[in-house]
Amino acid sequence: MTHQRPASDRTVQVEGLARVEGEGSLRVEVRDGTVGMVELEIFEPPRYFEALLRGRRHSEAPDITARICGICPVAYQMSACLAIEDACKVAVTERIAALRRLIYCGEWIQSHALHIHFLHAPDFLGYQDAVELAEVDPLPVQRGLEIKRAGNLVMETVGGRAIHPVNVRVGGFYKAPSPEEIAALAEPLLRARESALASVEWVAGFEFPDIEVDYRFVSLRHPQHYPIESGRIASSDGLDLDAAGISELVVEEHVKRSTALHARLGGKDTYLTGPLARYALNSAQLPPIAREAAAAAGLGAVCNNPFRSIIVRAVELVFACDEALRLIAAYEPPDPPSVTVEGTAGVGHGATEAPRGLLFHRYELDDNGLILAARIVPPTSQNQLSIEADLRQVVQASLSLPDEELAWRCEQTVRNFDPCISCAAHFLDVTVERR
Amino acid sequence: MTGRVLVAGLGNEYRSDDGAGPAVAGYIAQRAPSVDSRVISDPLELLGKWDEAELAVVVDATRSGEEPGTVQIVDLGGGEHADSYDGPTSTHGMDLARVLRLARALGRAPDRVVVVGIEGEAFGDGHGLTPAVNDAVPEAGDLVLQLIGEHT
Repeated sequence: MTHQRPASDRTVQVEGLARVEGEGSLRVEVRDGTVGMVELEIFEPPRYFEALLRGRRHSEAPDITARICGICPVAYQMSACLAIEDACKVAVTERIAALRRLIYCGEWIQSHALHIHFLHAPDFLGYQDAVELAEVDPLPVQRGLEIKRAGNLVMETVGGRAIHPVNVRVGGFYKAPSPEEIAALAEPLLRARESALASVEWVAGFEFPDIEVDYRFVSLRHPQHYPIESGRIASSDGLDLDAAGISELVVEEHVKRSTALHARLGGKDTYLTGPLARYALNSAQLPPIAREAAAAAGLGAVCNNPFRSIIVRAVELVFACDEALRLIAAYEPPDPPSVTVEGTAGVGHGATEAPRGLLFHRYELDDNGLILAARIVPPTSQNQLSIEADLRQVVQASLSLPDEELAWRCEQTVRNFDPCISCAAHFLDVTVERR
Repeated sequence: MTGRVLVAGLGNEYRSDDGAGPAVAGYIAQRAPSVDSRVISDPLELLGKWDEAELAVVVDATRSGEEPGTVQIVDLGGGEHADSYDGPTSTHGMDLARVLRLARALGRAPDRVVVVGIEGEAFGDGHGLTPAVNDAVPEAGDLVLQLIGEHT
């Protein structure tokens, strides 16, 4: 970090933003007391996954795209499966869909437990990381690890292993877990749900900067349940689209400072995906235990304070544990564990809710089921402009802070989004400069 | 568990000599199948696996400037004086010393941690050890077995 005065002109630069997935940097310039340039720079090399997919068999898309991210591989697998099945005009059975939702709950539990307890909470408590936090207050960190372990167990049982599951295929699964294997998940998930409730109470007690952002929220919405792996795309201003519709409306552009594409909705508008958006558009669909936890934590039906996203994420953690328990209680092994998906010419789209936001895929297949073209739009690409817009608002409202605290606040702002820079292209550098 | 010993071969076998730890874990599994010997790719995975061990031997590739294949031993004891890398924490890497600090804070550290290092030469993409490192695997493995023998 570099810090320069006088006070009315400053540049905040963070050259190594910690506790995010991937590598990038951040620069904010303040001129005459007004925030000017705000740039989130993503300098990881581009990863060329969309090009790698060309010429590969339709059945390979879930395993190839899963490798984009070690934190949310299931999200990639599920969006890929939905898109390929859409292109081949195949629908899976309800039992397969339920098992997909269960493994996805496992990923939400893993990812949210990690972000809340290890990556984000230290910001609010003034610690550099979870190790420092654990040395002062070990219980929350211990709790986070236990919750995460329950998520790992779900992934291992349904997916074959905790990271990059190997049991997912286009059309369903290679093998359905036995009822006994699934039933064994109940006890650790019950404990995880109790721990998640304690974490909601814990994070609700943090101090939050008093900032409200007028977001345009975008997320999946489903008539029967809180969205994870299915639903149409809705927005806070009335959009109602299927996966093909969002794919058409979202335009991505390359900017010099980033190896990740910047996404705009309708070619011009900043929008937000992720927990705040899901919650704003779907909070009524949460089960009673999660709704009650949210209310006790002081959340209304919509939350516009990005710093309070940690509470929303914790409420979603309660939901994911509870939903996994519901699915376990109702589990009947899909038989067969997958439906046949013959590769045929067509175009297909798939959209699901990764832990950090909407993820959609589009594939074009030839007569033999080979992939002619692929498009993958991850949540962090969609949120990049919102991250910069939030930084602008937060810095403007926080100019009275000394440089070091302002840089800290900037990093915290970025982490509100739980960005996965690795997915978007990959770490982060912050610079605050005042002139 | 009384007397429990864990051998953790730390590393990624698809990054050339970073696979030295996993190779030694395989050596131990062959010669002493009763020993709990595991391949670990991320030090954070040690949490939950080494919690109740009296002795944890962590085998890892090193880059200390020694000749490739040099086997070194660092006894961290209970981790009271383990120095940690002072860089930012990310989900993409927490070093062994920091994981040990975290484990101690959580009351989940082994009684004693010994690191056995094999100096690596190449850490780029690719499967397989360079000759000097490959030749050092039995020496490191035998050293691990000796440490276990002395412990029990």
